[in-house]
Amino acid sequence: MSALISVHGLSKYYKLYAHDFDRVREIITGKPHHQKFYALHDINLEVREGQVVGLVGKNGAGKSTLLKLLANTMQPSEGSINIHGRVAALLELGASFHPEMSGHDNVYLNCAIQGLSTAETERVYADIVEFSGIGEFIHNPVKTYSSGMFVRLAFSIATHIDPDILIIDEALSVGDGAFSRRSFDRIMAFKKAGKTIFFCSHSLYQVEALCDHVLWIDEGRIRSAGAPAPVITAYGEFLRMESALPPGAEMQANQSANADEGAATGAAMRDGDLPRITAVRVAVDGHEAKTQRVMSGVSDVVIEIDFHPGRNLPTPSVALVFSGGDGRALASAGTLNDGLVLSPGADGLGHVRVRFPKLPLLKGNYNLDVYLLCERGLHAYEAALQAAELNVEQRGLAIGVVDLPHQWEV
Amino acid sequence: MLNFVLRYCRQIIDGLTTPFVLSYRYRGLMWMLLRREIATRTSGTALGFIWPLVQPALQVLGFWFLFDVVYGMRLERGANFLSYLLTGMLPWLGLSEVLNRSANMFREFASVFRRTPFPIEILPVQLLCLPSVVYTAVLCLIAGLLFGALAVLKALVVIPLLMVWLLPLVLCCALLGLFLRDFAQGLPFILMLLLYCTPILYFPDMLPAAMRTWLWLNPFSDLMALIHAWLQGLALPLNSLWRLLGLWLLLLGPAWLLFRRSLPHVREVL
Repeated sequence: MSALISVHGLSKYYKLYAHDFDRVREIITGKPHHQKFYALHDINLEVREGQVVGLVGKNGAGKSTLLKLLANTMQPSEGSINIHGRVAALLELGASFHPEMSGHDNVYLNCAIQGLSTAETERVYADIVEFSGIGEFIHNPVKTYSSGMFVRLAFSIATHIDPDILIIDEALSVGDGAFSRRSFDRIMAFKKAGKTIFFCSHSLYQVEALCDHVLWIDEGRIRSAGAPAPVITAYGEFLRMESALPPGAEMQANQSANADEGAATGAAMRDGDLPRITAVRVAVDGHEAKTQRVMSGVSDVVIEIDFHPGRNLPTPSVALVFSGGDGRALASAGTLNDGLVLSPGADGLGHVRVRFPKLPLLKGNYNLDVYLLCERGLHAYEAALQAAELNVEQRGLAIGVVDLPHQWEV
Repeated sequence: MLNFVLRYCRQIIDGLTTPFVLSYRYRGLMWMLLRREIATRTSGTALGFIWPLVQPALQVLGFWFLFDVVYGMRLERGANFLSYLLTGMLPWLGLSEVLNRSANMFREFASVFRRTPFPIEILPVQLLCLPSVVYTAVLCLIAGLLFGALAVLKALVVIPLLMVWLLPLVLCCALLGLFLRDFAQGLPFILMLLLYCTPILYFPDMLPAAMRTWLWLNPFSDLMALIHAWLQGLALPLNSLWRLLGLWLLLLGPAWLLFRRSLPHVREVL
């Protein structure tokens, strides 16, 4: 299969001038009067149709520059990019909206910028409006829209131009409430339809779950590329060495607002149709509390999660993560990963309990985060971050974070 | 030398064709940008699109009031001062508006192209579109009232041709306005001086003889001479025509070359 995207010897440098006039001098004479600051250096890449490529790297590594070059909003300084197909980029949604123009006119303007003819725009216009849920407000100036309406319309335009390549920066969903789930479904539909996706994220979990090829960019160069698991592992180790791993980064299932807020702060649900966590109870040896003393290898830890499964949606899955004080995920468990399909009870509510007998974590303080995820385990409806704090004590002198089951033989 | 001339000619052809070819290719986008421009200018006003049409007429009315009513200027040879003033002033207002806007062109459209795959090369032509329509409409009306029905047909081509002639100046002003921000601040003053140095508010022969000889250095004098002759059905001053054409050919190639060279810098600067 031929490559949909071919990148050869791609470099991007920003020109630094000692004086503003040096730039003018350079333009007039055609001779360089600048110093180069390389954001990307000698990138080579081939992406086939249907590939989902993940992009990881620290802030400032050059990920955004690469995405902008692929989205054709920036020109390469050296090398070439050949793209066979239409690109839709979910970068800075709605940046070219004009506040004084109506939603209708902004749809036509943005479609025209993306290269659609008026006839092509007319064909997708109804779908854009329907998907965005803007309704009759489409004829009002976008300056009167709420931020949610604004981003819904922008997302709807970006994903209705029938792209061959979709570029996603960070979030697998946009907006809030029900639209967050709809936007996630739409992105998944692109994957299912065999579209090529570029996905840049700090959520290593999502990158690993979604992508079939991962690039790790570091200081403007590809440091590692290949199957997700080894690249993600190497990158995760690198971050830990650099102590740059943000708390919860490995699981950080979704960047959308409803994932990071919610149960952690005790906020009430925002949308009655969406799944939500209603309660998290942690019991150690039958005693329930948010902060628990645990005896390593002795105490039984039972975690119960109640949730509302939402309406007209597949029953969600539940996952939980134990993390250390530095935010590093140490262990996890998930119904999807363990093959357990949840179903609501007679009262229409969901309930699941997980038991960790003789908890093998060694001494230390641990946090428990609980996630209510979609049936694919990718989109987080809600996160109960630090739902419980476990202060583990131990007898004996074992070191590390976990007491592995073992047998001595002589 | 031959190589230089060939390259020069290629730039001229490129500068004349590329913006218009791209404008045709992206005509849907240009139409939406035109609507965007109108929305920006007329948003919140009761008269809406009437304003861009009325504004030039009101400005002309102001000049007429000053020179005809207040100063009571009467010209020799029985010439009608009002018709002379209007014939020259309307194209000048259009020219002045376009050049002033071109100095801020990149900033005006920055939100559209900064984060999108936008063909920046169409912007100079985009800038000329609305003034072409507005000033052509007003000039046709005025020419019809002053010189009769035939002048309406003649007036149809005046502003569009003027705008095409302005293309190299638009390219230069856009670049200067972007890279040397002081230029945009000083340009209105420069244009005001040029207005006074151009026979718009007076006949050329009203100038002292010593100054009159310097008029040939001002291409806008040639422009005015051509417009007056064309609309009034007089013999066209061919010297003016060739000078304007020569200047246009001289400027278009280098202006286009510089514009193309600047494109990679535009997004970086903004």
